[in-house]
Amino acid sequence: MTALVELDRLAKRYGAHTALAEVTARVDGHVIGLLGPNGAGKSTLLKCLLGLLPFDGDARVLGLDARTQGAEIRDRVGYMPEQEAFLSGMTAVEQCAYAGELSGLPRNEAMQRAHAALYYAGLEEKRYQPIDGYSTGMKQRVKLAQALVHDPELLFLDEPTNGLDPRSRDEMLDLITELPARRNCAIVLSTHLLPDVERVCDQAVIMHHGQVRFVGTIDELRSERGRDAELVVEVKADAARLADALGAVGAACQLYSPVGLYVSLPADATTRLIFHTAAASGLQVRTLAVRRESVEAAFLRVIGGAA
Amino acid sequence: MSAGPGQGQGPGQGQGKIYDLGYKRYVGSRRAVATRWKVIMRHQLATAWKGWWRLKMPLTSAVLATVTTGVVMYVLRGDVLRMMTGMHGEVVRFADGLIPLSIVWYEKIAFLISLLVGAQIVAGDVQSGAFTFYFARSLRPRDYVLGKLAALGLLLALVMLAGPLVLAGVRVGLSDPGEILASLPLVPRTLAIGALGTVIYAVVPLGFSAAVSNPRHAMALWAAYDVVIGSIVNQLGAHVSPAIAALDLPSALQSVALELFDVHGSPGLTRTHIPIGFALGSIAVQAAIAIAVVTWRVRRAQQTGVGGGA
Repeated sequence: MTALVELDRLAKRYGAHTALAEVTARVDGHVIGLLGPNGAGKSTLLKCLLGLLPFDGDARVLGLDARTQGAEIRDRVGYMPEQEAFLSGMTAVEQCAYAGELSGLPRNEAMQRAHAALYYAGLEEKRYQPIDGYSTGMKQRVKLAQALVHDPELLFLDEPTNGLDPRSRDEMLDLITELPARRNCAIVLSTHLLPDVERVCDQAVIMHHGQVRFVGTIDELRSERGRDAELVVEVKADAARLADALGAVGAACQLYSPVGLYVSLPADATTRLIFHTAAASGLQVRTLAVRRESVEAAFLRVIGGAA
Repeated sequence: MSAGPGQGQGPGQGQGKIYDLGYKRYVGSRRAVATRWKVIMRHQLATAWKGWWRLKMPLTSAVLATVTTGVVMYVLRGDVLRMMTGMHGEVVRFADGLIPLSIVWYEKIAFLISLLVGAQIVAGDVQSGAFTFYFARSLRPRDYVLGKLAALGLLLALVMLAGPLVLAGVRVGLSDPGEILASLPLVPRTLAIGALGTVIYAVVPLGFSAAVSNPRHAMALWAAYDVVIGSIVNQLGAHVSPAIAALDLPSALQSVALELFDVHGSPGLTRTHIPIGFALGSIAVQAAIAIAVVTWRVRRAQQTGVGGGA
């Protein structure tokens, strides 16, 4: 089956600076978070994938060669830029119809789809007003609509919630979450807002220093530590005594309350060790759960360990 | 794919709800990439047509100039005037010279259009971030350049080409039956001058618009180049060498026009006469530089626009 994006030793250099260092990855999924600090190579990767920059190695998007089939890729991919990209004096519906025509749609089809895309983005009757007078939230919606208008199979969204108030951000994330089902398209969400990724993405790609540090599901990202994963233990009373007892048998413990602690078990131990130790200490275990690492913590771990 | 689950829901819903007009995957054919410059051209023409001052006012002026000159030609070639003045040869010669002389007026109108439309195009798109909009789609820099140039060419041809051609038609139509054939060469000459003027006022201001990132600065630069620097090099050329005066585009075009129509020392001409070789060479070099600047700017915009700078 064709992957959304396949990279094979993709490299891009600007003089002495290496923006992408022989990146190899295969990316699939419905909503993919593209994460990385500034300068990680996300923008360069997007440009290479859209066929806008020459590069070394191979990159395929929707099965098309990004080196030689850039135009075909851009017909099948929608791009929502982070920065403003509007033509002055135009209304939203004019701009979206123009975008559709530039992507090869016939004039009438482009106009119909412009209305549909703006309607989906929630602009309703405001779509007839000049974009120059729009609020930030409305402009973000127009950018989403103009990325959707030519019926792409894959959407690149660059910081789609930047500058939005909490309510608008929620609405934008709802629109993004619904897109794969409603428009049959996959999404690559480039952002530095990790809560957004946690909320809408099922896959993540983490870049750092021009390299891909992680590719996989969000659950894999959080549990990547495997045996190293922490447990959350709550006892009826005196968690400190349990911490001491577990420490004596080789577990690493960290108290977070008088009745709660995080526990990292030794490599060959199972959770039975906790119950045995608690019983031997006269303590009663009330809760035992795997401690879920936040996406933010996982992200910092991935780029921190590789930095 | 079938319509989404929200199909058919309307705007009567509350805030934050998602509704759709009914989505269907587009399965029709798409316009070939190589012809998408026409979309840009059409959009540019529509943009220029908005408002009164940018295009409608200059075009009205061009129509007035054409009608006025046509009427003067008609009067000058009338039998009554010939009998009254007794200056048959002089009057006819002046009437013939009206076509190249009218180029002076058409140039001014073309300059106005180039200032209000052409000189702002690339800089305006840089300022508004439009290149990100354009190049996230399957457009190539040459499609953008071709689309903008074609639109400007059409607009300016309405003045520089259509106006003089109408006058050439009037001149041929006013000819005595015996001299119609002899006057026909006026038409291709007029075409050549009109095409040259169209190229000048479509290409060179676009080059200025690509040289800076602020549309107002681009307008000011183009105006200063055409009016101020043009006058200076013209004066310098009069005293030093006609080759210098060839840098002044209006003078270069007028010189070519007068040469083609074999009109010399006509009233209304104050600019330095430039040999046709210098004039054509200057026009070609300036147009080539302008296209190079535009192409450089647009290629650069393509690579830096999408996804921010790099």
